[in-house]
Amino acid sequence: MEYIVETSNLSKRFGKDLAVEGLNMKISKGEIYGFLGPNGAGKTTTIRMLLGLMKPTSGRIRIFGQDIKQQRKNILAKVGSLVENPSYYPHLTAYENLEALRKIIGVPKQRIYEVLEIVRLTEVADKKVKGFSLGMKQRLGIAMSLLNQPQLLILDEPTNGLDPSGIIEIRELIKRLPEEFGMTVLISSHLLTEIDQMATTVGIVTKGKMIFQDSIETMRTLAGHAISLKVSQAEQAWRLLLANGMKVEHESGLIMLHESSNEMVAEAVRLLVQANLSIYRVEEEKRSLEDIFLSMTREDSAV
Amino acid sequence: MISMMQTDFLKIKRKGFWFLTFLGPIGVVALQMVNYGVRKEYLLQQSENDWLYYLQNISVFTPLALVLGIAIFTSFIASIENETNAWKQLISLPVSKMMVYLSKFTILACLLFISSILLMLFTLGFGIFLSFDEAIPWWELVKYSFYPYFAALPVLALQLWIATVSKNQGVPITTGIFGVIFAYSAYMLPDWMIWKWPSLMNQWDEPLINVLLGLGVGCLLYVMGMLDFTRRDVK
Ligand SMILES: Nc1ncnc2c1ncn2[C@@H]1O[C@H](COP(=O)(O)OP(=O)(O)O)[C@@H](O)[C@H]1O
Ligand SMILES: [Mg+2]
Repeated sequence: MEYIVETSNLSKRFGKDLAVEGLNMKISKGEIYGFLGPNGAGKTTTIRMLLGLMKPTSGRIRIFGQDIKQQRKNILAKVGSLVENPSYYPHLTAYENLEALRKIIGVPKQRIYEVLEIVRLTEVADKKVKGFSLGMKQRLGIAMSLLNQPQLLILDEPTNGLDPSGIIEIRELIKRLPEEFGMTVLISSHLLTEIDQMATTVGIVTKGKMIFQDSIETMRTLAGHAISLKVSQAEQAWRLLLANGMKVEHESGLIMLHESSNEMVAEAVRLLVQANLSIYRVEEEKRSLEDIFLSMTREDSAV
Repeated sequence: MISMMQTDFLKIKRKGFWFLTFLGPIGVVALQMVNYGVRKEYLLQQSENDWLYYLQNISVFTPLALVLGIAIFTSFIASIENETNAWKQLISLPVSKMMVYLSKFTILACLLFISSILLMLFTLGFGIFLSFDEAIPWWELVKYSFYPYFAALPVLALQLWIATVSKNQGVPITTGIFGVIFAYSAYMLPDWMIWKWPSLMNQWDEPLINVLLGLGVGCLLYVMGMLDFTRRDVK
């Protein structure tokens, strides 16, 4: 299997600290790879190494099957990126900012209008970026990353600092990319929900180490959301579900259902309704990223 | 390389680079306009050859303007990339870091060269206006306009190096200010100090030595700066 991105034992040391340690990242073609981890986990450092901005302390990076050390320019010609905060020249207009990149990349001028259209900045193309809102700057950053029609798009926390509508907009945009343009996307975030809503594959990193890398479905199972039910007679409901062989708990007037597959929830609700109990609420108890990390690191050590 | 430089010329738009390119030589000649405006008779008595004496007066301020201009240009051009940390954007394009550095250096060297041409033209213009008795000393005019430029290349290479690799922009500003002070007190400096060279002074009284040193040491400092820039991780 040929990967679009493949790192082996990638490490980066700053002084005494290892910011990235023995990272093996594998991204297949057409995926939206969610690179998840709390602040300071080493996501940006990893991405900087993928882009050749930083030299790894040890380990190897292959992108499109080529080594970044030997083929840096060839690889980067097919990669688009937005690292941390968007970079732009505030004294230039949106159009001029793209033109400055276009001259180096060498795509036709038409492409500038295309990417401006994709991120919906056509109207403000001739305004100086200085006056743009954060969301507009972020969108300009994405436009810049799309300019060379990349096969691999690397976005580092692209929704950071955006308002909810901006977040949704960028999320919708990113989801379109693999199908419409055949891109592979690497997107980093410190928010589980964000990755949950976009990614097809997830890599979870903490303290520089990859502690999980698999499909989003596998992660969801591992993350094991519990379902909480609020019913008219909690005690009675709890006994009923227990009697039917379900893993349930009864705490402070709520019923906690620990297996959250669709069938199981439906079955529980059916039983309760048949027993003439009123169901007020059925809610998913989201586990925080920290909880998941804890359970994953525990499982790691258990294995 | 051409496209890289086109991009750099686009980026310096609206940042006052062109304005400064003109302001420098205008300022240097304007000082002599004031000087000759106020006490022309006195100045004409000072020397046998009025044209040469005029060129020498002009050349008092040329090194200062050059070194000051270099300090401002280098810190401006670095600040354009530093402002939103656009280095990471730039270096993740399919370009070599050497090209990025060479392009910045070349742009500034071009602007300063244009300044030197303008200096020659303005000097000539005002000199003709003063209508000295002697014929125009063409060779001396060229020397006084372009020798300081070549002798100042090491300062350009050093300042660009410091400005591009410093995390704290206070560092290049400080070295820039010291450079200007050094250039101002050139006559007191030992010959080996690069800030003295644009003044064309040396113990052998041979300006050409400063030009050759400027080219040689300029190249050396340029290569060192470029290699250091390439070696470093991008901020
Ligand atoms: N240039 C640097 N110099 C020293 N330490 C750094 C540098 N960049 C990042 N670090 C450290 O490396 C660790 C990982 O940082 P980073 O990759 O930015 O994490 P993330 O992007 O996941 O929030 C942090 O502890 C950070 O302080
Ligand atoms: Mg980060």
